[in-house]
Parts: sequence; C-alpha cells; structure tokens
Amino acid sequence: MIGKNRRKLIAASAVIAAGSMLLAAAPAQAAEQGVTGSTIKLGITIPMTGIASPGYNKIPGAMKAYFNYVNANGGVNGRKITLVVKDDQYIPTLAVAKANELILKDKVFALIGTLGTASTKAISRSAQLSARGIPALFVNTGFSGFADKKAYPTSFSLLPSYQMEAKVIGKYLDDNYAGKKIGLIYQDDDFGVDALNGFKQAGINFAVKIPYASGSQGVAGVAGTWITKLQAAAPDVVILFGVSSATAAALGNAYAYKYSPKWILGSVGGDATTIAAAKKELPYFMAGAKGLSFAPAPTDSSDEYIKMFMDVNATYNKGVTFDNNVVAGMTSAFLAVQAIKSAGVNLTRKGLIAAIEKNSASFANPGLTPLGYSATSHVGATGYWIGTYDATGALKPDGGKYTVYTTDSGTGAVVLSTYKRPAMPAKGLPN
Amino acid sequence: MIQILNTVLIGITAGSIYSLMAIAMVLVWRSTRVVNFAQAGMALLSTYFGYEVIQISGSYWIALPVAMIGGAVVASIIELVIMRLLLKHSSQGAIASITPIIATLGLLGLIKSVIGYFWGNQDRTIVSPLSNVGFTFGTNTLAISPMKLFIIIAILVLVLSLTFIFQRTNLGLALRASAYSPEISRLAGIKVDLVRTIGWALAGAAGGVAGMLQTANGTGTLSPDSLEFSLLLAFGFIAAVIGGLDSLIGAVLGALVLGLVLAFVLTYVGGSLVFITAFVLLLIILLIRPGGIISQKAGRRA
Amino acid sequence: MHKLKSNNLLRLIGFVVFGFFLFYLSNAIDELRVYQGATVAMYVVAISSIILLTGYSGQVSLGHGALLAVGGYGAALLRNNLHAPVWLSFAGAVLVAALFGSLLGVTAARLSGPYLAGTTLALAVGLPSIANQFKFLGGEQGLIFDIGLPPASLGETFSQYKWFFWIAALTALIAMWWLQNLLRSRYGRTWRAVRTQSVAAELAGINTARSKVLAFTVSAGLAGLAGALLSMTISTVSPSAFPLSLSFALATGAVLSGVTTLGGVMIGAVTLVAIPEIADAFTQRIGASENVTANLPGLMVSGLLIVVVLFVPNGPVEQFRNRRKK
Repeated sequence: MIGKNRRKLIAASAVIAAGSMLLAAAPAQAAEQGVTGSTIKLGITIPMTGIASPGYNKIPGAMKAYFNYVNANGGVNGRKITLVVKDDQYIPTLAVAKANELILKDKVFALIGTLGTASTKAISRSAQLSARGIPALFVNTGFSGFADKKAYPTSFSLLPSYQMEAKVIGKYLDDNYAGKKIGLIYQDDDFGVDALNGFKQAGINFAVKIPYASGSQGVAGVAGTWITKLQAAAPDVVILFGVSSATAAALGNAYAYKYSPKWILGSVGGDATTIAAAKKELPYFMAGAKGLSFAPAPTDSSDEYIKMFMDVNATYNKGVTFDNNVVAGMTSAFLAVQAIKSAGVNLTRKGLIAAIEKNSASFANPGLTPLGYSATSHVGATGYWIGTYDATGALKPDGGKYTVYTTDSGTGAVVLSTYKRPAMPAKGLPN
Repeated sequence: MIQILNTVLIGITAGSIYSLMAIAMVLVWRSTRVVNFAQAGMALLSTYFGYEVIQISGSYWIALPVAMIGGAVVASIIELVIMRLLLKHSSQGAIASITPIIATLGLLGLIKSVIGYFWGNQDRTIVSPLSNVGFTFGTNTLAISPMKLFIIIAILVLVLSLTFIFQRTNLGLALRASAYSPEISRLAGIKVDLVRTIGWALAGAAGGVAGMLQTANGTGTLSPDSLEFSLLLAFGFIAAVIGGLDSLIGAVLGALVLGLVLAFVLTYVGGSLVFITAFVLLLIILLIRPGGIISQKAGRRA
Repeated sequence: MHKLKSNNLLRLIGFVVFGFFLFYLSNAIDELRVYQGATVAMYVVAISSIILLTGYSGQVSLGHGALLAVGGYGAALLRNNLHAPVWLSFAGAVLVAALFGSLLGVTAARLSGPYLAGTTLALAVGLPSIANQFKFLGGEQGLIFDIGLPPASLGETFSQYKWFFWIAALTALIAMWWLQNLLRSRYGRTWRAVRTQSVAAELAGINTARSKVLAFTVSAGLAGLAGALLSMTISTVSPSAFPLSLSFALATGAVLSGVTTLGGVMIGAVTLVAIPEIADAFTQRIGASENVTANLPGLMVSGLLIVVVLFVPNGPVEQFRNRRKK
C-alpha cells in the first residue's frame, strides 16, 4: 500500500518536474526579444570611425533610409523596423563589446551587416550566437568559412565568397586570355588566400604574384614597388585583388609609371566612388578595366531596383551620394525585410532562420545571381557578371547585357546563369 | 637594371616623405623634450585648412603656405595652452617620462574627433598641382615625376633653411641653448618660453607641408582616420629614432635609410614584409647605436 | 618585522573580502555587466603591467598590445594543439610573453625614454602582421580560443560570461596579490632605487641593467596574462584585436590610474570600459547628428585624458594621499 503510494508520488513529482522543466525551457513563446506587436529592433556594429570607416560608414544610413521608407508605408507585417548602430572601429574586441550591448542592453532581435571576417567570427563565438539562436543577417564578408553552416548556424553572408569570385575570373581568363601571361596583386591574408585557392582550382598559373600586407598600401613607396615588379615580369593581364585603397594605389602608380596592362579589378577593390575619393582622375584610367559585381551597377537607373533605391535615398537619406555602398546597405535592408515578411506574423528567431533557408529562392532582391541559401548553405549570392569600367568609373555590362556566371565555394564548375530575377514588388515594398 | 634604379628612386621619394614628419618630431623634441604624437593630427588639421583654401581659391600654391601658417598657429596654441601647463605640473619623477606622450596622444584623439565633427568621417582629396607621371629615360619611365622632384626639392630647402636657422642665427642659438639647459638659458636672458613656442610653431609648419605634399603625391586621402597619416606618424617617428632624435640631419638620414631598405626588401625579398622590416631595422640600428645614427655623445646622467 | 607580517595578513584578508564581494556582485548584476566586468579584470592586469614598468622601473612602453598578442596566441596555440587545460594555457601565455619580454628587455635596458618608446611602438606596428606570414597562426581571421562551457555543477542558468568573469576576476586577484607582494620585496625596492637614483643605485652595487630587464620580463608576463584574458573574452585571437590603439589605450589607462601606484588600477580599467558606453548612451538620448555620434566618444576619452594629465598627473589616488598628507 505504502509502496504503491510512494510510487505514485514519485511518478507525480516526476511529471511535475518534467512539466516545470518544459516551462523553464520554453518560457516565452510569445515575446521574442526585440519584437513587439508594432516594432522590430535590429542592430548593426560596423566601423563608423577608424581606418576602415570611409565608404562602409554609409551602410547603416542606407539601411535606415530603406527601413524608414518601409515604416512610412505600413512596415512589415504591421511592424516598424528600427536599427541601432554601434561603431566597432574594425577591431574585433570592440565588435564583441558592441554586439553584447546590442544583444543584452538594446535587446535587439537580430544582428545585421557586421563587417570583417575577424570581427564577425569573434562576435559569433563570444556572443554565442548559435547557442542563443541569434540570427546574424547578411554579414559583409566574402570569407568562405561562413558557408560552413555547422560552425555558424545562424549567420548568413550576402556577398559571394572570394573563392567564387576567383573562379569566375579564372573562367573569364580561360575564355579570353588563354596562353597569356597573368599577374596578380593580392592582400596577404584570408581575403587573398581564399582567392588564391579559387585561382588554383581554376588552373591559373601566374607569371608574377605580388602579396601586400593589409594596411601597407598606405605606406609611402609601397605601391611603387608593385609596379616595378610587374614591369619586370611584363604580364599581359593583371588581376588586382585587394581593398579599394590598394586598387587606388596600384592604378595611381601605374599611371605614374606609364604602365598599362589589361586590368581586372576584384569586386571589393573596384569601388569607383571610394577610388575617386582617393584621386579624382583615377576613374578616368580605370576606363577599360574589367570588373565584377553581383548587383546591378549603381549608375543603371533603368534597373527598377536601382531606380527605387535612388528615390528612397533622395527622400530618406538626404545629402548622401548614391553609390555602391548605399546600394549594398539598401540591398541588405531589402532582403532583411523580405525575410522578415516571409517569416510571418509570429516572428521568432528560429522562424526567421527557417524562412531564409526555405524560401529564399522566391525572395525579391536586386542581386542578379540566384540566392544560395538552403538548409546546408548560408552563402547568398552565388556568382558575378563581368563588365567594363567606363571613363566615369561606372561598371557597365559588356554589350549592354548582364552576363552572369554562377558557381560554388567548392570544386563545382563555373556556368552561365539562366536565373531570372523575381520582379520587384510594387514600389519596392513588402506587399 | 631599370628596376634597381627605380627601386632606389622609390626609396628616396618615400624617405623624403617620412623625413618631413621626422623633422617635425625632432623640432619638438629639441625644443621641449616631448615626443609629439599629436603631430599627425596637427598635420592633418593643417592639410584640411589647405583643402578648404583649394575649395575656395582652386590653387594648390595658395593652399600650401596657408597650411604651413595654419600648422604653425595650431602648434603654437597647443604649446601655449597645454604644454606649458603640462611642464609645470609634471616635469619630474616617473610621470615625466610618460605624461607628455599621453598628453599628445590625447591631443591626437581630440583633433581627430574635431575634424570628424566638422568635415565628417569620409575621404577627401587634393589634386596634385604638378604631373605625377614619371620622367622618361630612353624607353623606360623613371620612378620620379615633377611632383616627386618638387617634394625632394622642398624638403632640401626646408632642411637647409632650418639648419641655417639653428646654426647661424641668434634664434637658433637660443633654441639650442634652451633645449640643452633651460635654467642656464633663462639666466642668460633667453626667453625660454617664447623659444619653446617657436620650436613648436616651426614643427607645426613642417607638419603642414608634410600633409599637403603627402596628400597630393600619392593616392593618399584626407580623412580623420586617414591610414596614410597614421602610418606617416609611425614611420616618421621610427625614422627620427633611427636617425637620432636630436639631429635634423639625422632625421633625414634615418628617413632615407628606412625608405631605401623598405623599397629593396619589398622588391627583392617579400611584398608583405613592410611592418616587420621597419621594426627589425630599428632594432638593429639601436642595438649598434642606442642613440640613433647621429647620436649625441653619451649623455651625462642624473 | 612583526608589524610587516600583520600588514601582509591584513592585505590578504582585504583581497579575499574583495574576492567575495566580486562573487556576490557577479550574481547581482546582469549579463552585459558581467561581461564588462571580465573586460575590466583584463584591463586591470594589463594596466598594472604598464604601471610596474613605467611607474616602478621608469621604462616606457607604447607597444604593450604586442605583448598581449604574444600571450593570446600562446594560450590559443597551447589550448588548440596540445589541449591544455585553461589554467595551463594561461600559465603558458605568461611564460611565452615573459620570455619574449626578457629578450626585448635586454634591448630596452640600453635605450633611453623616447628611443624605447619608438622601439616598442615599432613592435606594436610590426608584430601583429606576422600572424599573416605563418599558417599555424591562422591569418587575419585568427585562431579560436575556446575555454569551454562552465562546469555543469554550476547549474543550467550559469552563463558563459559569468564563467569568463569568474576566471578573469580570480586571475586578476591572484596576479595583483602576487604583484603587490613583489613590489614590497627586495626587487620592488631595487626598481624604485634604479628609477629615482640610478647613479646612486649603481654605486650601491645594484646592477641597473639587470634590474630593468627583470622589470620588463615581469611586465611582459603580466601583459601575456592579460592577452590570454582578452582572447578568452572574445573567444578568438586575431591580429586586428591588437591594434596600435590598444597599446595607446593601455598607456592611457595607466595614466588615468596613476602610474606611480597600483592602488588606482581599477579606476583606469573601469574608465576604459565605461566611457564609450556612456558617450553612446548620451548621444542616443540627445538624438545627435551622425558627425556628433561618431566622434563624441573619441572626444570624451581624449578630453578626459588631457584634463587628467594636466591637473591630476599622478593619478587620483596619489593626489588624494598628497592632500591628506598636507
């Protein structure tokens, strides 16, 4: 008798314990952090000051402009989006500190648009984004490591990986410059090493490879030595795979040395506005160089997205010059809005991640390549179109038509894309 | 062959850019025994003055002297307002070795923030007034252009006139004397405070020239956190230390050695060894001569 | 002699009480503050390493960030490749940095103030870029330094950051306890003698060069420990985590604390962590324009620094002591 009761008691307490554990594990199904009935709070940490800030510090403003445009027209699923901006000066230690403020103090729903491989990695690890399930949307780095969904299950990158870019360039060289001597200037860190892997896969042999230490392009005389080395090796085509300031330094010195090979500028360093800020006449001798992009050119006002972004910029981002960085910021914001909308009215972090993995193929977005998000990959754009810079520094598609190549970060081949971009929803709003 | 020649030319031009900053650091060190890290900020601010003048007048040649004068004025104000107070409060003890450095670092941050407030954290540019295209030598283009030649000549003129001031004028005598022994100079009737301010003003002017030349020369940009200016400061200081902080000629020599060694290492050893080469070079030279290439005789201690 | 012993005992009790206070605090404050607390503890160790070097031995370093990097990489390599337990990876960080520091100290002892400042500055500029030259250092993205989850016995709700804080606070307490004992020992007295009266010290038979090298070595060891703590708080170690601005920030923290005494070390450490957040909160409240928002934190730090250097050059603690003496 007693034994039976005791057994009952144990069973009952076990049920109670299990019940309370369940309650503890899922305390607040309703209120996800950073989301209320009428608002969604996002956070970004990015260099607003410091050596990496020029150019990139326009991204948060551009994002805010698009969010405000959406908010003014009813928001997403009835919610208005706010963006909290923090300055990390491109230093990982600060990036982690700021991300923690965003998550723990400002209580944001998700992070968006963090910049730089080292910072992104440090945030992801230290702030335990995966354990806490906090989405890091559209990080601004092409480091292929973020494709590893196991290591970074809540991070999504937007840019195609550097490796993809190198493979696409490799394909272009094969098609157009077979048997010619190729030269390369690259940043001697992950950025460049990722690209080297891609070039290796594409089977490119370089007549001369010139590494430079990140930051050293600003030291007087350094870029001069690149050009004398190139002149000595005399390649027909030179690929410049560095940041904008390095591209500017290389082109400026090439001009000074009357050195003019066929240039191919990597997408990171081929940003004409940043280069023009370094030297007004530089865009002029970018003319004829080849460049890559996955989004339509910022000068292409015949593109419906670019047109809409231009209008939004004029109204909600007054006085800011419309350029690559504005397009990048608005593209991320646009995609975030699409993802949030697709996650439905009961917005949760889990739901958002699942929505991106499942539905991204149907997301409207300005990118000209298919979005590669899936349950197994978190890399967004999957390729590039190759065009030619004109005398104003604008990258124009060859023959007036975007010819897009797609590939992956692995050993897959580079193929011509048949992707047709979904039409822009009316007025560029989530409706 | 042409590559070796061009490497030498690159080294010399780069060295001449570092030397301007090195000279400015030496001037301040000689007059007040302060390692002035605010020098980069002062140079940046004067270059912004020059930039504004170019926006208004369109002329680089008007902007250059304005930047010089602007630099001198900013430097004098800093010396009068901050450095005097600093010397009064903390000229002795352990603190004396580090406070001036920290104060000038604080100033550097202050100036950058002020520039960021007024001009925004974005890149601006100054168009080179002379051609940047190298002279032709046979079928080859040399790594020296009219603009670079102008820089080298400007630095030569600057160093020669400063040396003349220091060696041949009463002001120079006063400058040297008050740096060497302020107490005795004061007794000898030298207005030590005024002389110190003049030392700073000269440095400020030199910094202004450095900023204007550097920004017009390369693809350097003008922004509160300009990579080029931070590096100019670091490499200018390293050059001054290599050369010996008490000597103007040493500053130029140190800068040339640094420029040439870097150019050759980058061209013939490894493209990404810039920063580590600077450190190793500094270490080697200081191991041989702890007071720099042109060092004073072993200083009296205590 | 007797008095000395009882003084030591009192100090030990003080440290233990403070430790319990921190333990209590870690349960009372939220996760963000706990994380910031871990950063403060890291700064305490780093700043005290500079105070030791500058305030006690009269040498200037503008490149301590590089020594932190040595420690951080040392700890990460030990942990990742040899699966060293956390305490051992920290000890390794201290040893590696101290070894490196002793080599540097040999050079440093020959150099006078500004030349030493230049050398250490060049080190801070040059060293981090080495990481890109060797594959095993992980390049720009760096290495992961994962100290693992808190032990299960602490409970489910015990957060990772609280674990970081416990480790960092305990490490800092032990380091400070050891350091202040060292400074009261024969070595501490020697350093002070060399700093204030180097000629007299030499006449009294003290080997000034050796004493300086020793100070540099100990300081580097502490910096290495701080580097391991820093890497722990950001769970990674990468070249860009040790920029020149870190070295400058540490020198700044030392001056804010007062370089002549260890007593104020908390002041500098807390200030370094608090100011950016205060400035941030302030600009957000007043809804300032972008130019103000971006530049106000820098302006506040720099302004404060200049004011302190001008009016309280010896630091608040020393100032307070002097006033009491008068």
